[in-house]
Amino acid sequence: MGRAGPMRGVWLGINQGTVCFLLLSCFEALCRVASSIPPLHFLSPPCTRTRSRVGLFLDRLLSGLRHPSFWELPAKPETMLTLLALASVVLLGIVPEQSQAIVIYTGWERHALLGSDIRLSCSFFSWRWTSEDVTFSWTYRPDGSRDSISIFHYTGGAAYVDNKGPFRDRVEFVGNPGRRDGSILIKNLDFNDNGTFTCDAKNPPDIVGRPSSVRLLVFEKVPIQAGVITGAIIGVVLGLLVLIVVIYYLMRFLVARRVFSLSVSKHGKKKKEGSQQRQGPVPPADPSKIKV
Amino acid sequence: MLILLAAIFVLHIIGVIVLLVATIDNAWWMMPNISTDVWGRWIQTNGVWNLTDIPTGSHYPQDYLQAVQASSVLACIFSILGIFVFVAQLFTLQKGQRFTISGIFQLLACLCIMIAASIYTNQFHLDENFGWYGHCFILAWIAFALTFISSIIYFVLRKKTA
Repeated sequence: MGRAGPMRGVWLGINQGTVCFLLLSCFEALCRVASSIPPLHFLSPPCTRTRSRVGLFLDRLLSGLRHPSFWELPAKPETMLTLLALASVVLLGIVPEQSQAIVIYTGWERHALLGSDIRLSCSFFSWRWTSEDVTFSWTYRPDGSRDSISIFHYTGGAAYVDNKGPFRDRVEFVGNPGRRDGSILIKNLDFNDNGTFTCDAKNPPDIVGRPSSVRLLVFEKVPIQAGVITGAIIGVVLGLLVLIVVIYYLMRFLVARRVFSLSVSKHGKKKKEGSQQRQGPVPPADPSKIKV
Repeated sequence: MLILLAAIFVLHIIGVIVLLVATIDNAWWMMPNISTDVWGRWIQTNGVWNLTDIPTGSHYPQDYLQAVQASSVLACIFSILGIFVFVAQLFTLQKGQRFTISGIFQLLACLCIMIAASIYTNQFHLDENFGWYGHCFILAWIAFALTFISSIIYFVLRKKTA
């Protein structure tokens, strides 16, 4: 799709390395949390092993960075050359991306009720700044037909809507070209509006891109999507279960802390009383001694 | 004590297996050459079985079907979690205490599979004389009984050895 092979490999390698590091630290954090829950104490030995490995890697990395010789030029010319080559490959990997293709995003499929309005969203991603000559154009291809007609065009700061075709007086521009949004609103849907809507956006000089299509389905009654209710029920019940477990352990922890602090204060009071009793009998003994 | 523990564990495992078969296999309602529910419909044409979508319509309410799917999956999840909780409680309980949390998980699994089987019995294939209930439907009700017995045993059982 345009990116050079080896540079993409380097870029991917850097990304994968970061992802690996993030995953390791997440795993380490999870391990620490899990091994502190009493029934899961058997998890702590393997967790400390991983923790020590991650910690060792981090320490080595940080100590390497802190060492003064890291910032001096290495003496061997071969290492200098390899470092230079690596840096240039990485930088070259970034530069060609500025002339990458423009990427257009619309939905995949939209369901709507008969007689309602629908907003078809279209936005794009481009490495260039949004130019003043940015254009959006929408075309429509009915279900079962091979021809597509143009129903909307935005250019030179002005929006031109369909005034002759099946969508006359029903299309309205609700997008914001400055924010790369070229969405349109179609009002009062009918069964004849079933079909594919294609959005094509151009951001000069970035004009190479693949238009993206969204399929519109008009229903009398919107059907329930497969698996939505199933997923919702399962998610809610499992979420409640996790919540109950968390609250239970939290309550136990808080109660234990309160009991501990109460017992500490009691112990402190007892110590104070004990030392006062010992001081009590001493003063009356002194005047008797002085008398004698 | 060891034999009793092994028997209870085997009962729990059998419950899990029965629940999994009832949930995964599409055989709650059978007709000649058709085996259907809850995830899809198997139709046999010319000796070849093909998986198709369950027909939508007023006689097949989609929301109740998804509720049956959700509660049978939840029953499997609770029962499998119950096994791990039971093994954990075996090692962490004090002598003389009861396996209440394992019992609660099995009871939840029993409740969920009962909900699933009841909704299916009440809402689907009410006026159809052309067909019979398949093995998954029967296994769902058997799983209800097994998990109920299992949870009662967990509530009554006390840990004998430390």
